[in-house]
Amino acid sequence: MNLEKIVGDFVGANLFARGSLLVRMNSHLRLQLDGMKAMRLGLMFCALLLSGALHAAESGTALKADDLKVEPFRDAKTVAKLAAGDKVDILKKDGGWLQVKSAKGKGWVRMLSIRKGDARKGSGSASGVLALASGRAGTGKVVATTGIRGLNEEELKAAKFNEEELKLAESYASSKPEASKFAASGKLAARPFDYLPAPK
Amino acid sequence: MKHKTLWILVLALCSTTAWAANPFEQQLLNTIKQGVQEKVTGKPATSVEEETAIGRQIAGNLLGAAPLVKDAKLQKYVNNVGRWVANQSERPDLEWHFGVIDSNDVNAFAAPGGYIFITRGLYRLLQSEAELAGVLAHEVGHVIRQHHLKILQQSKLLDLGSQVVAKNVGGSDKVQGLIGSGAEIVSRSLDKEAEFEADRIAVVLATRAGYDAFGLPAVLQQIGHFARDDGDVALLFKTHPHPDDRLGKLGAAMDDRFDGVKGKTLEKRLYRIK
Repeated sequence: MNLEKIVGDFVGANLFARGSLLVRMNSHLRLQLDGMKAMRLGLMFCALLLSGALHAAESGTALKADDLKVEPFRDAKTVAKLAAGDKVDILKKDGGWLQVKSAKGKGWVRMLSIRKGDARKGSGSASGVLALASGRAGTGKVVATTGIRGLNEEELKAAKFNEEELKLAESYASSKPEASKFAASGKLAARPFDYLPAPK
Repeated sequence: MKHKTLWILVLALCSTTAWAANPFEQQLLNTIKQGVQEKVTGKPATSVEEETAIGRQIAGNLLGAAPLVKDAKLQKYVNNVGRWVANQSERPDLEWHFGVIDSNDVNAFAAPGGYIFITRGLYRLLQSEAELAGVLAHEVGHVIRQHHLKILQQSKLLDLGSQVVAKNVGGSDKVQGLIGSGAEIVSRSLDKEAEFEADRIAVVLATRAGYDAFGLPAVLQQIGHFARDDGDVALLFKTHPHPDDRLGKLGAAMDDRFDGVKGKTLEKRLYRIK
């Protein structure tokens, strides 16, 4: 038996219940009729929020071994060495660095050495769904349950040329000077930076 | 229609050279010719006009599968960010086009000539303008290095099509014949190295544009959350290396080169979809 899958499904069902609860909230009649049910769902909802709060510090996993530093600089003193797979709590972000708390201590680690969430898993990852419940992971999964199909290869293969839509898309083009003006309004200044060689 | 296209190709084959009686010889000849042309001129055998005509056809087909999100401000905003990023590349004079298409899938697409689309599903995951810039810059990377065009050239049909392509701007059966069915080309996997290369280009273009370099990496971290069998990322995961692998490679390439390079994230300016 895959316990994680069960937990995932369970939390998933709760999410669904949260959706129906919100719908019911909007309808007083329904709320009266389903008072008991709604209350039960409400309790589940609270439990869910609570579990979300416990996960408020976003969790992460070290993708590879890397140093934990006192400050977000390469030359800063090393607090500890993280090993691949080490769990961390992400506290804050500064450029390419994340401040994390791990069993080995607190410090700064390169952002690209950490993946958010627990180590890569198959479906039904409980942490993923919980993260979703706390509003962290965006909307993807909830939308998926509505049954709207994605763009798959068959659909792309069968797609017919849509001239009207293409012309509309082309009508929104930004010219070079237009884009520069837009950049300036956001105080974005162009600067030179060399392309990166492929790592060996 | 298929037959008609095929017939035109056969006719074209026969008419170009008298001696090449069979199509395979002709293809071989074309491939060699193309190779020589590239060696001599130092330029790819496909002109910008041809590249754009092909891209336009693919873009029109993609929009046939998923139309634009009907929000003019959003579309304009994405074009502004995208064009600013593309201006930092070595192909600032292409007619760049960007758009958000109405699909819950988490994905982004590039077609030759500078047609770039991001899905609503991916857009909604974004937390800042720097992240949008990073995603668009990855696609810009595919366009400037002509990754998709190279696939088409490898299929050895493109050189043959040159004469017909240039004269047909708009939905053209002849161009269609060169790119396979519909917008299938955008769902084809590029080789992994092309994806890693586009990632490396993305962080650089974002930096050149004044943005925080870590926009794309942040999005990859976010996408890494999705389960492999989640329908919304099925195509993305099928056609790209896993986000974790991309982060690993990108991390190695970026190393400490971006230390001390500050950039703007512009969270507040990110246009939010209603």
